[in-house]
Parts: sequence; C-alpha cells; structure tokens
Amino acid sequence: MDLAIRRDSPLMRLVLDPVNILLMILLGILFYLVLWPFLELVLHTITWGDGDRRLSRDAVPGEYTWFHWLQVTASPLSERMLYAPLVNTLITGVISTVIALIVGGGLAWCVIRSDMPGKGWLQPVLTLPYIVPSFAIALAWETVFRSPKVGGQPGLYETVLGIPPPEWVSYGTFPISITLAMHYFPFAYLLVAGALATIDSQMEEGALLSGASRMMILRRITFPVVAPAFAAAFVLTFGKTIGQFALPFLLGAPTQFHTIATMVYANLALGLDSMAYVLAILLILMSLLAIWASNKFVGNNARRFETISGKGFRSRQVALGGWRWPIFWSVATFGFVVGILPLILLGYQSLMLIDGFFNLSNLTMHFWTGQSDPEIAMGEPGVLHNTNILGAAWNTIELAFFSAVIASLVGLVIAYIVVRKESNPLAKMLDQIAFIPFLFPSIAFGAMYLTMFAEPRGPIPALYGTFTLLVLISVVNRLPYSVKTGVTAVTQIGRELEEAAEVAGASWGRRFRKIIAPLASSGVVTGMMVSFVGVMRELSLIILLITPSTRVLMTVGFNYAEEGLTQLSNALVLIVAMITIAGELILWWAGKSRLVQLREKQS
Amino acid sequence: MASIEIENLTKRYGATTALDNVSLKIESGEFLVLLGPSGCGKTTLLRCLAGLETPDEGEIYMDGELVFSSKLNRIVPPGKRNLGMVFQSYALWPHMTVRNNVKFGLDVLNLSESDSKDRLDQVLKDLGMGDLQNRYPSELSGGQQQRVALARLLATKPPVFLMDEPLSNLDARLRMDMRVELKKFQASTGSTTVYVTHDQTEAMTMSTRVVVMRDGRIQQVSPPSQLYKRPENTFVADFIGMPRINLIKANRSDGKNRLYSNGDIDIDIGWDEAPSSIVVGARPEDLKISKEELKGSQAYEVSSVLPNGPETIIQLTRGGTILLARIGHEIDLHEGEKVTVQFDQKALNVYDAKSGALLGPPIDTNGTN
Repeated sequence: MDLAIRRDSPLMRLVLDPVNILLMILLGILFYLVLWPFLELVLHTITWGDGDRRLSRDAVPGEYTWFHWLQVTASPLSERMLYAPLVNTLITGVISTVIALIVGGGLAWCVIRSDMPGKGWLQPVLTLPYIVPSFAIALAWETVFRSPKVGGQPGLYETVLGIPPPEWVSYGTFPISITLAMHYFPFAYLLVAGALATIDSQMEEGALLSGASRMMILRRITFPVVAPAFAAAFVLTFGKTIGQFALPFLLGAPTQFHTIATMVYANLALGLDSMAYVLAILLILMSLLAIWASNKFVGNNARRFETISGKGFRSRQVALGGWRWPIFWSVATFGFVVGILPLILLGYQSLMLIDGFFNLSNLTMHFWTGQSDPEIAMGEPGVLHNTNILGAAWNTIELAFFSAVIASLVGLVIAYIVVRKESNPLAKMLDQIAFIPFLFPSIAFGAMYLTMFAEPRGPIPALYGTFTLLVLISVVNRLPYSVKTGVTAVTQIGRELEEAAEVAGASWGRRFRKIIAPLASSGVVTGMMVSFVGVMRELSLIILLITPSTRVLMTVGFNYAEEGLTQLSNALVLIVAMITIAGELILWWAGKSRLVQLREKQS
Repeated sequence: MASIEIENLTKRYGATTALDNVSLKIESGEFLVLLGPSGCGKTTLLRCLAGLETPDEGEIYMDGELVFSSKLNRIVPPGKRNLGMVFQSYALWPHMTVRNNVKFGLDVLNLSESDSKDRLDQVLKDLGMGDLQNRYPSELSGGQQQRVALARLLATKPPVFLMDEPLSNLDARLRMDMRVELKKFQASTGSTTVYVTHDQTEAMTMSTRVVVMRDGRIQQVSPPSQLYKRPENTFVADFIGMPRINLIKANRSDGKNRLYSNGDIDIDIGWDEAPSSIVVGARPEDLKISKEELKGSQAYEVSSVLPNGPETIIQLTRGGTILLARIGHEIDLHEGEKVTVQFDQKALNVYDAKSGALLGPPIDTNGTN
C-alpha cells in the first residue's frame, strides 16, 4: 500500500512519465550534438594547438590565446584570408540572391496568378536545378566556359566560337553568382509562390474597380502584400548561398578566387585548422545575423500583412491576353536552359574520350562502362565498373537511408514532445535546440564536428573517419526539417484521440505505437523521402569529414573534379542527379495521390 | 456500479481558477449532468474525474476507493480508474476500422482471444454496428460515429461513464433521437454516468440530477424539475429556461408588507417576511394575460409578438420595464394592444437583491402544480 502511494505521487509520476524521460534524454543528446560542438569550435580557436608551434614561437599547447583571431582579422594574412573572401562571399551572395528572387518571384507570379499554359509540367521542370546537386550546375558551366588559360582543355564556347571566353565569364564573381542563382531560384520560387497563393484576389479586384492599371495593381497591391515573404526568402536564400562550398570552389579556386566557405576548406587542407575554424565561426555569425534581421523585419510586419481572413477567399487568375504564349515560350525556354540543358551537357561531356573535343568521333562509353586503361584518366575504370564508385554508391544509399529514417523518427518524437508538452519550458528548449542546426552553414557545421569528434571524449570514441559520424551529422542537419514535418503531423492528431486510448488504459508506448505513429506516418514518410534525397546530394556538410573508407558519390565526384577527371566527375554527378530526380518524382506523385486520398476522406 | 465522491476539489491554470473548492456526491447508477456556460469548469471537472487533468487540491473517491488525493499525493492514472469516456469529437481512431476501434480497449485488458471476440460481436450487435464493423470512421455518418463511440465505451463494461458533450456535433433532429437512445442505453447498463453539456434541454431531459456550475463553483444540484421551478439563485434562474425568466428588481412599497414595486410595476409576492430590497423571479408562463381589466392587475402594452408553434412569446412594456410572457392559442394578441397582467403568486421566487440567493419559501416546493 505504502509503495503504491509512493508510485502514484505526482513527483514520481513526473519522473516516471516516459515522455519526460525521453525529453531529458533527447535534451542531453541534442546538447551534446548541437551546442557542445559549437563551444568546442570556439574553444579550439582561442587555444594553442599542437600544430601551432610552426606558426608562432610563443605557442604553448593548451593555453588560451587570441593569436588565431588576430591572425585572421588583423595580420598581413587577413586581406587574403578574411577580407577578400568576405567581400567575395557578400557580393556573390547578394547578386545571386537578388537574381534568384527576381527570377523566382516572376515565375511564381506566372505560375500561381496568371493563366499561363503548361503550368502542370513546367513546375517540376522549374524546380529541377534545386533538386540536382549544386555542383552539377558548376560542372555544366565549366563544360561550356572552361578557359584554357587556367589549364586543361577548351570548353564548348571556345570550340564553337573559336575564341576563348573572357576570364571573368569562366571564373570568379560572375559565374559563381549566376550558377548560385540558377541553383537557388527554385527555392525563392517556392517561398514566394506560397505567399502569392494566399492573396485574396478581391483585394486586386477592388483596385481594378477603382480604375487602376494592371501594372499599378502589381506594384501597389500585390507586391507590398508579398513583401514580407520576399524579405524572408531573401534572407533564407542568402543564408544558403554563403554556406555553399563546392560550387564556388570549382568556379573560383582555379583563379584563387575564394569565399569564406572555400577558405575554410583551403585552410584545413593546409593544416591551419584554427584559422579555418575562426572563419567557420564568422560564417555562422553571418548566418545568425541574417536570420535575426529577417525575424526582426518579418516579425514586425507579419500581423500587418495577414491576408487570409477566412471568409470569402477567392483566387482569380490574371489573364495575360496576347502575352500568354510569348510568356509561356520564354518560361519554357528558361526552364529548359537551367533545368535540362546542364544535365544534357554533363551527359554529353561524360561521353567525350578527350575532354573538349566536340565531335562525334570523340564519343566513347569508356567513362561509364570501360575497363581500366592506363592511357585514359590515370587508369580509372568507367563508373559502372569502378569498385571505388560502387562502394561509394553503396555508402551513399546507406547514409541517406539511415539518416533519413533516424532523422524522421527522432523528429517525430521531438515533435510529439514539443506539441504535447507545450507548457513545459524544457520542451520549448528542445524545440529551439533542434532548430539550431538550421542556422549553421553546412561547411561550418562540418568543421564543428571535425573538432568535436577528432579525438575520443569521455565514453565516446574518436568518430572521425567512421560512417557513424556521417550519419550523425546528416541526422542532426536534417532535424530542423524533420521536427517541423513532425510538428505538422502531430498537431493534426487531435489530443482526444490519444486521451481515448489513455482512458482505455493503454500505456504511453502503446499509444505512440498504435495511435500517434500510424496517424503521423504519411507525413513522416514524405519527410523521410525528402531527407533521403537531401542527404544524398549533400556535399558541403560532409566534405570535411570524409575519409577514403567512408566516401560517398558526391565526394568521389568532387575529388574527380578536383583532379581534372571531368568525365568521371560528370558521370557521377549525373547519377546522383538522376537518383534525386527520381526521388522527387516519387514524392511529387505520392504527394498528389495523397492529396486526392485526403480529399476523399474528408468529403 | 459505482458511486463517486468529490471533496474540495480545486484546479488552477496559472492565475485562473477552473475549479474552486468543488464537493459533490454522485450516487451509484445516477445520470448526473454538469451544466453551465462555457468556461464554467464543467469539462475540467469531468477531466479530473477521468484522470486526464490533475487537480491542485482535494480528493476523489470512486466506488469507495481513493483515486486522487492531493494530501496523500495519490494519483491513479486514467486507465486504472475503471471508467469509459465519450469525447466531444468522439475521438475515433481514423486509421482503425469500427471493429478495431472497439477492440482496442479489450486488447489493453489482455482478454483471451475468444472472450474478446464474443464481447466484441455482442457489443457491435447491440448497437446495430454489425454490418458496418469493417468500415473506417470517415465512412460513417455522424450518428453512426456516435454509436461507435458508445460501443467503444460499452466494450470494456466500465461501471462509470464520462461523456463530454457527446451530442454537440450532431444536427438538431439527430440530437433528439440520440437523447432518447442515450437515456435508454444508460438505463439498461445501470452505469453511473457523468455527462457534460451546455445545452439545458439536454440536461433537463436526460438527467436524474443536474449540477449547474459557474466560474468553477457549483451553483445548484437538483433534479431537473426542481431546477426549473426553484432555482436557488438569480444566476441559475436566468440560465435555465427559454425564453428566460423575468427578474424584476423591486423595493417594498411604503407600509405594505407584501407589495413591492420597481417604479413601473407593482407585485404582490404573497409573503410577509421578505426584506425591503428583493429580486422577483417570474417565469414567462407565470404571467396571466388578459384583455379585460382585472382587479389588482396593471395595464401593459404588447410591444412584440413572437409566435413559435404551440406557444407564443409576447413582450410586454410598462414604463421602462419589459417582461416576457408565454401564452397559448386561447388569446390572439397584436402589437400595440393593451393587456393586463397577473402574477401567479404561488410560482414566484424571491431573491435577495444583494446576494442573489433564494429567500424564504412562499411556494409549495414539491408541488408539480
């Protein structure tokens, strides 16, 4: 009896509540995997390391110092190490973001608000550049505009026109900005399209009745209403561009053009770890600043622009009249050039025996199906025979599968806690910590894990070089998304559904297994597919953590590109692109059929 | 079958007090309705009984067993309280068939396969769900979903039923039918039922006793007929009854013990011991309307006539005072007509003007007239 009362007491119930136990465990794990690595990164930069003796005679390993920060920010090296790359990062980031927003916003308007034909199939084509790995676009650009001045074979441009392209077209600010914009405009497109879809056309009709012209309506009504979405899209896109590593590296490094992200990589390659970490921290700060600015702007204005009143919502499409077909053709051409042409170029290029000679006799399947030939590509066999690559392909699939499954399940559990224990401040904290990885530019996140797991720490062995570490970082990197997916799914499950099971006497484990998990499954499985595709094309995140035994397709492709084995690299990137596209198609199709099902269920 | 005892239950949400020192004894087999406006604490009380909310203070006994005590730090979890609950939304699990919805509670009990199957078949048959057992909840009508919720409740044979506005999602006609069905259902099982609603018709028609709540406190606990005839304070008087009761604030006229006036109208309450300031409660049907001048009655103008099928509600004006009266078809009235009004002295309730509490008994409390 005594015992029974004690187990029934509120305190014991609180402590024994499986959800609270999970909450504490997850808090501990996330603290260890998200916050600690950041602290570790910061600590590393203000401590003398073992390798610092060759940099400074004063180095006492283990002592605190500002040496690395001073070296980066105020030394003769600073110009090359920090300021020039910083300017490059900002310029390419801003230019590409502006272009992405203008293009993405314009397309969003055409698709959502106008009566342009062919929307159904244009939409997936327009999102292609975001689906394929970013550096596929960089490789395609190189295929066309490669300049022999830097070395190597001429590109398509020179072959056709007979003169080499100006160097500013081949490498540096211009190509990096353009290709970044090409990769990210679908992202801006999706954000703006979401906002445009919420505009009640009665607002516009009101202006039309008062005699305003179409341009005037666009300028005075439509644009101001979607302005907050634009601002948010700007910041999010900008935040993504500055963390990009592979793309600026391929189109900048040959001419010593660096961004902060590529500088992190370059410094690590030179063994200047602490300098690299200082740069990584600066990159994180830039990202934080951007998010903070967006919250400040959008947060203050969100209420003012709330457009859905719930009553009498109508969305009418704007008739383009005579412009209908010209606009269709421009959009379709654009979609072809940015979405499909790069893939064709990569495919064609991977068939050239000698890179840069664009005639039919030069075509070969060697880089796909050929056996090792010492005369070609340093003896590397074609991708479909190459044991290296088959191993990497297997690794890639394993990594994407495990990361997606773990991230989705953990995301669902976190989401459950966040939704059901919303009054608990610890649950709120869990939510916030799970979101933090979103703020880390991916290459900086990789740097954090490099410092954290390079050596054993307590009971945790040195995970550097293990497959586990790749899964770990991929999972944590996907968490902000999977928690969001989970929250949406759990919120839709009425509390009473669970209480009914509780009254029937079902334990928490049973309720989660029998009620929550099945009901959340369709949303979570979709999220899992998104993560699968996302992890598969990820490069910047894991490039610093890859060792030969844990290589994945993207890093092998990147290494080939670095070594100038462009055909092999293109072939690999093309494979990844095809897999991700297939994944997206499945998602798109599944999403459509799911919508239909939902509608049937609701009626 | 089980009795329920609630002692000094208090539940706070931050600064607001949802339940304020509530005590209540529910007899075994009773159909008790918790009635009150939204936010009065009725649902909180039900959820405390279920164990879905944890009160801050007080005790709850079910069938003599202590299931919650703040002093002894004892909380028996919902699943161990031996009760069944019907939720406002029914809370049917959309991913399970009707049969599996009902089966869930039996699975938790770890019954033998054959026992479970027999009981399941019986319950589904009793509620006429046999043909629909392989459907999903989304494929059922509102009334059928309601029945699945009842089947789920019945399957585990709990001695206590808790129902949280189970009829509020049905349309008016279906609601009427389900009221009858629910009442039969409860009577046949004999389970103690606690039923939450904000619909007074539902409360009056189904309950053995009604608990009226307001701001987390119990206002009155009575059988329905008494609740209507003898509301214990002005809040209950005003809350119960459609159209609402006439509450007339009046002062004793000089030198006349039983005669009260609010300046416009005079009422003889037929009772000598009332204080000088009172509120007179008169139900619309307690006003006798006549076209002829009667002795001791005052003249009113008919300001509005609202026919409503079997009865007609009329609005009467005298000076600044407006009264509602309910009349049958025996007189035909039109707006602007002059009528005289007599109050049915035996039916009047007299309340203290300050506290709103019911004062002495001028009427026959048990009388059904």
